[in-house]
Amino acid sequence: MKWYENAAEHADVVLSTRVRLARNLKDYPFPARLNEKGKDEVNAIVKEALLCGERAQEFDYVPMRSLSHTQCVSLAEKHLISPEFASDSAGRALILSKDEDVSIMLCEEDHVRVQVIYPGLSLEAAYEKANAIDEALSQKVSIAFDERLGYLTQCPTNLGTGLRASVMLHLPALARSGAMPRLANTVAKLGLILRGAYGEGSKPVGDLYQLSNQVTLGISETAAIRNLASIANQIITQEKSAREALLKDDVFIDRIWRAFGILNSAHMLSCNEFMDLVSLVRIGAAEGVLNIPLQTLTRLMVEMQPATLNTAQGRSCTAAERDVLRAKAVKEALR
Amino acid sequence: MLCQNCNQNEATTHIKRVVNGEAEEHHLCAACAKKLGYDHFLDDFSLSIPNIFSSFFHDTMPALSRAGVEHCDTCGSSFEDIVRSGMVGCADCYEKFFDRLLPSIQRIHGRARHAGKTPHYTVEPDAPKTDETAAEPAEKSVESQIDALQQEMQKAIESQNFEQAAVLRDKIKELKEESDK
Repeated sequence: MKWYENAAEHADVVLSTRVRLARNLKDYPFPARLNEKGKDEVNAIVKEALLCGERAQEFDYVPMRSLSHTQCVSLAEKHLISPEFASDSAGRALILSKDEDVSIMLCEEDHVRVQVIYPGLSLEAAYEKANAIDEALSQKVSIAFDERLGYLTQCPTNLGTGLRASVMLHLPALARSGAMPRLANTVAKLGLILRGAYGEGSKPVGDLYQLSNQVTLGISETAAIRNLASIANQIITQEKSAREALLKDDVFIDRIWRAFGILNSAHMLSCNEFMDLVSLVRIGAAEGVLNIPLQTLTRLMVEMQPATLNTAQGRSCTAAERDVLRAKAVKEALR
Repeated sequence: MLCQNCNQNEATTHIKRVVNGEAEEHHLCAACAKKLGYDHFLDDFSLSIPNIFSSFFHDTMPALSRAGVEHCDTCGSSFEDIVRSGMVGCADCYEKFFDRLLPSIQRIHGRARHAGKTPHYTVEPDAPKTDETAAEPAEKSVESQIDALQQEMQKAIESQNFEQAAVLRDKIKELKEESDK
């Protein structure tokens, strides 16, 4: 089972929770100042430290050079690695758990970036999991740390806890009410960032937004997580009440059914069209208009992305071929 | 207007960010915007923030040219390298260039003292109940805090950074008074 196939708390609004810890080995320069040989050494040390005992069975160690470009982009689409990490494979490796809930990037911007991704709103649990890996690492290797500045990172924006936590929110009702710019401004004042998760411009693809913490120095892990959870809960409440109003409108209910109709019958679906339609179907499923398990929709939102579709096919398809495959897979999933 | 990153091409991309409630603007050319990650379809944690970081340093540059070029003994980075790339070279760079990095770090984070866990430290100090970003620094003995501040103050005096030294002196005084209570 992959993480996105499980049911979760607040899944009606929250697709996923991610927590990331940035760590560096004390005795090696940061990646930008490290040659490939040095990076290989760092990777070997971390691999040795983390993949022992039971954990060796749970994780795969993947040198990025061993993957095709499409496979790398697919990992980025699934948010298991950063797009930047996917763009250059030299001296880089990935430690990935079998159910893809833990991914550890080696020699990205920092030597070690531990990331945990869970379905729904699950900040505490995700942090605990990431922290357990950090504890295991720090038992075996010396970590770059300073009492004043905390965990030392290549980029000073991550100093302190090195903790970046984020939740992926589906906010179709708030987006339609025009509340997003004001909301983004408000959370910015609280040291958080709210922005479109995919695409650019004022209306992000699929009404997906990412809320994450910005400040990492001078705030404890617990406080940062609690802060983010509290704001996420407030946004969830606002979205829910906006949905209530929206669902009184027959025109909107009609749009949900029409979106469901197209997903159920189209012969071709582009990625953008699919994301727009699935956004409507998801709000319908979350609010009891349609009877579809939310995790089915979350899985489609992950697996219907271009490179992930290609990877599943084991070959590079043309955009048109992909659109046909996408429409077919969506129909099967919604049947 | 010229691109603030390369200072060569015409700026065509206008980026507005809000950090700690303060708005800042950047004007970049298409090539630099691309280089700094503003053209990605996929978005993630690592995007843009670190790269834009180099702009935080710009006011510290004049001091640098007066002081001549110093290099980190461990990785060979100069402060200029750090400013140019927005990336610190190694853990020792933070020690070496601490005074010059500190103002920028404070601008990013507001506070410049770590309040989270430390390595090998399995039980976390329970943060006070608050819905603001403010959390009190982790428990540490007042003596060691005063010690650290005095060292910082000494450094500040040595580098003729009297303004910072005065701030540190006041902090030390405050801590001493508190511990005498």
